[in-house]
Amino acid sequence: MTRKLRPYDEPPRHRRSLIPNAPDSAALAFLVVAALWLVAATGIGVLAAGERLFPDLLKISFSIPFGSGIGVEVSQATADPAFVDALVFGWLTNVALSAIFFVTPRLTGRRLASDALGFMGLGAWNLAVAAGIVLLYVKGASGVGPLAEFPLPVKGLALLGLLAVNGAFWRTVLPTRSIGYVSLLYYGIGLLALLGLIALATIPAVFSLGTTNDRLLWAFTARGIVTYWVLGAGLGTLYYVIPRVTRNPLSSGGLALIALLGWLAFAGLSAVGALVDPSVPYIVTTLGQAGTLLLLAPVFLAVTNLVGTIRGSWALLLSPGSLQFAVTALAFLIATALLESVGALRSVQTLTAGTDWALGVSLLGLLGSATFAFYGFADHALPRILRRGYGGAMLAQAQLWASFIGVALASLAMIGGGLVQGSLQSQGASPQDVSGTLFAFRILAAGGLGLVSVAGLALIVNLFLLYTEGRPVEAARVAGEPLAAGQ
Amino acid sequence: MTVHTPIETRSGIPRWSIGLIVFVLLVGAAYVGSNLSGTNPPIAGAPSGSPGAGGDSAAALAIINTAGCKACHGPDLAGVPPTFPDLHGLQNGPTVDNLAQLGKTHPTDWMNIWIAGTDPAVSDPAMRKGMPAFGGAPYNLTPAQIETVVQYLLTLK
Repeated sequence: MTRKLRPYDEPPRHRRSLIPNAPDSAALAFLVVAALWLVAATGIGVLAAGERLFPDLLKISFSIPFGSGIGVEVSQATADPAFVDALVFGWLTNVALSAIFFVTPRLTGRRLASDALGFMGLGAWNLAVAAGIVLLYVKGASGVGPLAEFPLPVKGLALLGLLAVNGAFWRTVLPTRSIGYVSLLYYGIGLLALLGLIALATIPAVFSLGTTNDRLLWAFTARGIVTYWVLGAGLGTLYYVIPRVTRNPLSSGGLALIALLGWLAFAGLSAVGALVDPSVPYIVTTLGQAGTLLLLAPVFLAVTNLVGTIRGSWALLLSPGSLQFAVTALAFLIATALLESVGALRSVQTLTAGTDWALGVSLLGLLGSATFAFYGFADHALPRILRRGYGGAMLAQAQLWASFIGVALASLAMIGGGLVQGSLQSQGASPQDVSGTLFAFRILAAGGLGLVSVAGLALIVNLFLLYTEGRPVEAARVAGEPLAAGQ
Repeated sequence: MTVHTPIETRSGIPRWSIGLIVFVLLVGAAYVGSNLSGTNPPIAGAPSGSPGAGGDSAAALAIINTAGCKACHGPDLAGVPPTFPDLHGLQNGPTVDNLAQLGKTHPTDWMNIWIAGTDPAVSDPAMRKGMPAFGGAPYNLTPAQIETVVQYLLTLK
């Protein structure tokens, strides 16, 4: 006999909140959004490379009909900043925030103070970045300046997002009342620097400082965002991932602290080095460029420390996964720091000014060292967030090699092309000769960026397969991969 | 529940790192010491005629590179005097004898006339000493392009 259930016999329904509140939910959301941005950014990068190859053919300019008066322009002038913005603010910032929200609770032993604040940051930040990039293509809607083009309302929204993520981070860290592990210091300084620099870049939209001063301010903030935020978050993540994966203690805490202090000092000086104009005293620019030159030292100390941490666990490099990504990131990191040091010399700057060199070195840093550091994080964190075993070794290998070959090809082609371009121009070669010679380099760069885009797709497919077909955590543990929930 | 999983660190600072820090500071000091004086080039995109800025420098540099000025005047436009004049410090007029008269008769636009080279007053090959007439074929720079270059050159001190 069956008895009809009366309403009050039914078990209470579990209400799902509009904003997910499970542990690591904000970290996962940032990671998923970041992966989508990676594909978008590298797609825009291929377009930007195409614009360099065929600037006239791919220049599209039209007005939106129905009397809107809105003009749209797709050209090299809009594709280059859109690419860098999508890469830094879309992919790298989102994945760095994912790393921060994953690592911080594990190092402090406290749950993220507010996942809701994290989600608020996610929404505001990504809305701002997407709107800012779209507005780059609208004539007259954006300013000019790398990483600083967004109009005032967009920057306001971005600042709101950054305030929210800073709030979530500091409310988790401050109650522990200890300095904690070095990764947290990198994250904290990086987050505050990003907030401060974006706020600084907003000043020209409120108070006019004059065109030259506006551009100087934007040059300073753009360099500061790369040295403090991208480099800082990347180093903080490598300091977490490598000891975790190898299960070795960090080689030297003292060395890590010296490297951190060096980075703190020279990253700021390096931003001053971007102030290149007759209105800036020559000695000030020289001091800043010395900062870029010397930034090699803390990077070298950090890399040495982390390589020392791997000692005894080199066999782990033979199996696909986080350590392969992290070691590749270290190699790219030292190469980027070396090339930036060389590029800071005034004689080299004279040769490479206005050439593809600068973008090539930036690509090596952004798509090489930083991206591989965060690939290592994603490979380590995803199984722990989703509590599922990572079965996609082949996809991880595809991601590693497509990215590695793509980044090496794109950045080296642009760096080499830049040197050739500078050399030809100083010899007075005709523009036709220069374009003809650079064509091969730029084809290689476009191909390389296409490969990185494929790697981004591999990351998304891996994430999807892990979510839909991954084995529960216990099964993975039997297979030999320790996946304790907290690690 | 989040498990607190701190990362262990070995303490101690390797002795070699102290030597490296000293070396790095010396390199920095040497770099700064060897680059104490000079003039920065204008930041890209600075407006024409604004204080402290010398014209649309990105556009000017593009024209300078395209026209091949650096082939004779060098990558930093400092020239190889006396054969190829230094293009810095032209704010007060010409710095070479063959242009002194031109500077007196055309104090505001002598550079435009000289670079264009199409005016009969400056087209004598003996006077030009190998300097091409950029206003004519095959360069065909427009007066606006020449003005952009002039504004840029006026910032080089």
